[in-house]
Amino acid sequence: MTASRRLPLLLIPATLFLLAIYVLPSLGLFRNAFNEVGPTGAMVEAWSLETWRATFHDSFTFELTLNSLWLSAVSTLIALCMAYPVSLFLFRTDSRFRGLLAVVAIMPMLVSGVVRVFGWLAILGDRGLVNTTLQSLGLISTPLKLVFNWTGVTIGLAESIMPYMILALLAGFGRLDRTLEEAARSLGASPFRTFRRVTLPLSLPAIALAAGLGFVLSMSAYITPKLLGGGRVFVLATEIFEQATTNTNWPVAAVLAIYTLVLLLALLVVSNLVARRLQR
Amino acid sequence: MSYLELAGLQKRYGNSVAVDDVSLSVEQGEAVALLGPSGCGKTTTLRMLAGLIEPNHGTMTLDGNEITRLPAHKRNMGYVFQSYALFPHLSVGRNIAFGLEERGASRSETEKRVQEGLALVRLSGLEQRRPKELSGGQQQRVALARALVIQPSVLLLDESLSNLDAKLRDAMRHEIRSIQRTLGITTLFVTHDQVEALTMCDRIAVMHRGRIAQIGSAEDIYDRPATRFVAEFVGRANVLPLARDAQGRATVWEQLVPVESAENADLFVRPQRMRIVPVSEPISGDTARLTGRVLRSVFVGDHVEVLVEGAGGQLTVEMPSGSAAPAEGSEVAIVWPRGESRVFAREAS
Repeated sequence: MTASRRLPLLLIPATLFLLAIYVLPSLGLFRNAFNEVGPTGAMVEAWSLETWRATFHDSFTFELTLNSLWLSAVSTLIALCMAYPVSLFLFRTDSRFRGLLAVVAIMPMLVSGVVRVFGWLAILGDRGLVNTTLQSLGLISTPLKLVFNWTGVTIGLAESIMPYMILALLAGFGRLDRTLEEAARSLGASPFRTFRRVTLPLSLPAIALAAGLGFVLSMSAYITPKLLGGGRVFVLATEIFEQATTNTNWPVAAVLAIYTLVLLLALLVVSNLVARRLQR
Repeated sequence: MSYLELAGLQKRYGNSVAVDDVSLSVEQGEAVALLGPSGCGKTTTLRMLAGLIEPNHGTMTLDGNEITRLPAHKRNMGYVFQSYALFPHLSVGRNIAFGLEERGASRSETEKRVQEGLALVRLSGLEQRRPKELSGGQQQRVALARALVIQPSVLLLDESLSNLDAKLRDAMRHEIRSIQRTLGITTLFVTHDQVEALTMCDRIAVMHRGRIAQIGSAEDIYDRPATRFVAEFVGRANVLPLARDAQGRATVWEQLVPVESAENADLFVRPQRMRIVPVSEPISGDTARLTGRVLRSVFVGDHVEVLVEGAGGQLTVEMPSGSAAPAEGSEVAIVWPRGESRVFAREAS
């Protein structure tokens, strides 16, 4: 056998691993989606579409879908607005601290999601940093409601997906060549016009990639909506968890999980198509 | 005052000086080459002129107006980059239109000038193509057209031919030179290739270690190099170490040569300026002469290189091909007019 023909052997460990912990459970999930819940509340084996029918006839499912999509879109947009300048800076800087700065930028990834949420509670809570500062400055009399609502979840999500988006942008900036900006300048374009006509168009593929990633991460986030939402924020991920644990209604949880998966796949395909179109 | 004046330009990066006290006057319509090895400061000088980097010291004046602190986009310089820097997301036509659009030219005016630009570089009909669908030579011409359609005050070419293969480079050399002459556009051409500098420009500024070592016509630079560096960098030269005999007269290979004797110096003679003659041939008073043994002759197409060995070194003589090359091993005399040699001190190292 030639070396190149043996190359696929490198994939065996990961394939076996994923088969055991991902593909097989997914098949189980798929099976559960067609089971029924008996009168005692326990799951009974069946091949029924009843759960599917009930779930998609329930207006709550569509409320959850809209909530998830809206939350993800807003969080992704906010994170993008912050991540783009940071990435451009990291991509461009000649500073010898570049490596260090990059690590700092993605540092939040190294902190557990739960710890990060408690950090946000300390900052955004009624007696948190933001409210006490604003109050001591006399700018507000009663605390702003910044947590246990959509505001808190959006802030927390935007922050948690930012490091991933910075990495995605850095990876996608491949075609950004500074000489092109210099060419635009020499042809009479002001710095702003240069950004508009050269830098931004050339970074669109990176933006599509990062936005796709941020969106998917926001859609599947559970900890942040659960803890920062204080039980008032309902999205697909929190509902799946509720159904599986509190209600132990595994068929509903399975149907919602598969539904979310399909939504995400569709979004990934679209974002890939957009990125590829922009690449040309 | 000349059309374009650089006075005392200096650019430092930390402790190293990239460009040091560069002054240069360029007349309108003139083509000047900045020639030198990589790292000599020629590209840095060009970039300062375009406003892409700021000098630490010195001034630049264009047509009587100081432009030293003027931002790049207000300078009206046509810059052709080594990598061409065509916008990959824009078609050829839109690339060429870029500068016109930034100047607020009307649609019809832009369209007309783009067509003229394409015709000038003989690419008419390719305006819909993307840059990556073009060959290297075509991309080069698009970059040239893009820089020319804005009717720049000065055209700046940065190693613009170095990414092309030898044949194409030759063709582009003549093409750019003829466009430059036709439009009468003031041009600064950065290159490390002496043939480019010699063939494309009216004057050459040879740069070395951030400074201009010599400015002059191609003939000046080639035949009357001002410094040892220029003599070594431009063209080929036989470098013959000078010594002294007991009477203090200058010698090479233990033979007298008619130059001022000098301590720690070398005699420079171009291989084309030397001739090989029989040892018995008498010489006139204004001719220098050495004898040696022919090591070998190499036929290189348009000339023959003859390698001659003497006591303490070797030298190369270029003979026109077709002339009878001396037999290997034969004793010969090498002669050259006294005025064709230069003496340069050895650099303290």
